[in-house]
Amino acid sequence: MNSTATYEEKGTAWGKFVSFLNKIGFSPLGFFLLIILALLPNFYPFSEEYIVRWLIMGAFLAAQAVAFDFTAGYINIVNFGFAALLGLGAYTSGIFANTTPFLLFAPGLNPWLTIWLGAIMAGLVGFVLGILTLRLRGIFAAVMAWFVGIALMGLVNNLTELTRGPLGMNPVKFIETPNNLPYFYIILAMMVMIYVVLKLVVGSNIGLAFKAIGQNPDAARASGINPTKYLVFNFTLSAFFAGLLGGFYAHFFGSLTPSTLMHTSKTVEVLAIAYIGGRGSLWGGVTIAFPFVFFIEFLRSNLSSLPGLHLVIYGVLMVTIMIYYPAGFSGFYFWTVAKVKTLIKKNK
Amino acid sequence: MILDTKEVTKRFGGLTAVNQVSMQIEEGEIFGLIGPNGAGKTTFLNSIAGKFPPTSGKVFFLGEETTGLPAEVMCKRGLARTFQIPRPFPKMTVLENVKVGAVFGPSAHGLKSAELRAQEALEFVEFNLPIDTPASQLNAVQLKRIDLARAISCQPKLLLLDELASGLTPGELDSMMALIKRIRDDGVTIIAIEHIMRVIKGICDEVMVIEYGTTIAEGTPDEVLNNPKVIEAYLGEEEVPNAGA
Ligand SMILES: Nc1ncnc2c1ncn2[C@@H]1O[C@H](COP(=O)(O)OP(=O)(O)O)[C@@H](O)[C@H]1O
Ligand SMILES: [Mg+2]
Repeated sequence: MNSTATYEEKGTAWGKFVSFLNKIGFSPLGFFLLIILALLPNFYPFSEEYIVRWLIMGAFLAAQAVAFDFTAGYINIVNFGFAALLGLGAYTSGIFANTTPFLLFAPGLNPWLTIWLGAIMAGLVGFVLGILTLRLRGIFAAVMAWFVGIALMGLVNNLTELTRGPLGMNPVKFIETPNNLPYFYIILAMMVMIYVVLKLVVGSNIGLAFKAIGQNPDAARASGINPTKYLVFNFTLSAFFAGLLGGFYAHFFGSLTPSTLMHTSKTVEVLAIAYIGGRGSLWGGVTIAFPFVFFIEFLRSNLSSLPGLHLVIYGVLMVTIMIYYPAGFSGFYFWTVAKVKTLIKKNK
Repeated sequence: MILDTKEVTKRFGGLTAVNQVSMQIEEGEIFGLIGPNGAGKTTFLNSIAGKFPPTSGKVFFLGEETTGLPAEVMCKRGLARTFQIPRPFPKMTVLENVKVGAVFGPSAHGLKSAELRAQEALEFVEFNLPIDTPASQLNAVQLKRIDLARAISCQPKLLLLDELASGLTPGELDSMMALIKRIRDDGVTIIAIEHIMRVIKGICDEVMVIEYGTTIAEGTPDEVLNNPKVIEAYLGEEEVPNAGA
């Protein structure tokens, strides 16, 4: 709700700027942190190549958490096939960029174009997945998405003509450079774009329908909401962005194997970050992704003898959060802001 | 006639929850549906409101056959309902809860005017907590009010109320009865499932009694409540209807 105070502020340039930020889903604080993040790799020690790579991984996971929360946090369905959809986008983009087997010309298409083909492909499968999960609720929908994910991974493993199966393929890179910095700005731009687009959607009537369906399907339907329409749209859009992020992965790492990309444990990683960040905020996962990548990478470089340790840590943290603080980090933030506001009111 | 059901039957496996119920409702009526617990009243509403299709029988709403149409289509056609156990959207505020009905109900509204309509509906049901209260903080009676406001903001022609008055204090009962009448006076036809005899006698133009899914009596409240079959059906029930009460 707009109070009269903010209407008065709207006249000033600052007020106008703040209301513009609000429209695209940023608080002034959030926007400030984003600027800091964007500038970070220009300063030592963040300018070290290996740390820039950590930041890239952070933004990659953060963007995934946003697209994942768009489904899990709003319509309340956990898409366990998320990583497989991302992998589908990665492979589609990689294949078209390398050889374009169907058009039969080499070298392939420009990766800046093919990442969108990957996104469309993933979006199409997301559309089908949405239809398949329609009649299912909660855990059943999650299991269905999981099966579709496993099937996709099996497909990629077996279509060896196109994908080289478990041997993996090597898509061309966006740009040939030993520097990581350009890639950081590419993924950061993708992350911001995905966030803003999805934030605009959830702020609209469509978002109200998502929340209604997620919180009480019967009451939603009794209020005139057609769950089919919104559910399928939600899955399609989330999968589209997963596919786009897959394209980034393909042309950044230049190496794809089904198991490192499409495995369910990859979905669980994103799920953990989105949940610890707080469901239904979109930005919660972003704030968690960066510290996590740093923490995990730090552990990995010091405790190399324990592979898979990061999954254990994700698991323990997630269980702790879900039992003791299911609202997650964003829930904690909103709670604090509300507390501070009432304190200020009292002291006036 | 706004609603006409022809021998509507609903079975769950071997259990016939609703058995050949035919009901004719005239525009502008407040129609009471009563019967012991488990008689099939809610199931009947569910089968005409599209929660699930009836096993057999036909439903005509506003002169057109609507048998088996899903809930969202029934809502768009002008049928709204409340729930026996109010089921709002727990993570939304009071205003957002009601706005859902205004945005997605029959007459499509933009976000802004939907908000106004929702506020009006909340005023209409005399909901007097701040509208930005989270729904999760409300008690059962308050939830019933916002569920009613949500249904009203769909701007229905026919409104189904499922035990709206249960759990209210005597004082609250009077204001709820006045409220239901005001909704009717605004041109909305009402079917109300009720247990409380004072409410039935106070607001209903016509009453139907069902027991074990079957209609056992129909008529004015006084006729029905003095019917020996009805008195017998209620024996052993908590709320024995007493024509003199
Ligand atoms: N979804 C369902 N599945 C199976 N049985 C049901 C279902 N809904 C209601 N019933 C059964 O149908 C009968 C009628 O229930 P209901 O319509 O809720 O009664 P009332 O509203 O009159 O108290 C009860 O025996 C109840 O257990
Ligand atoms: Mg009932």
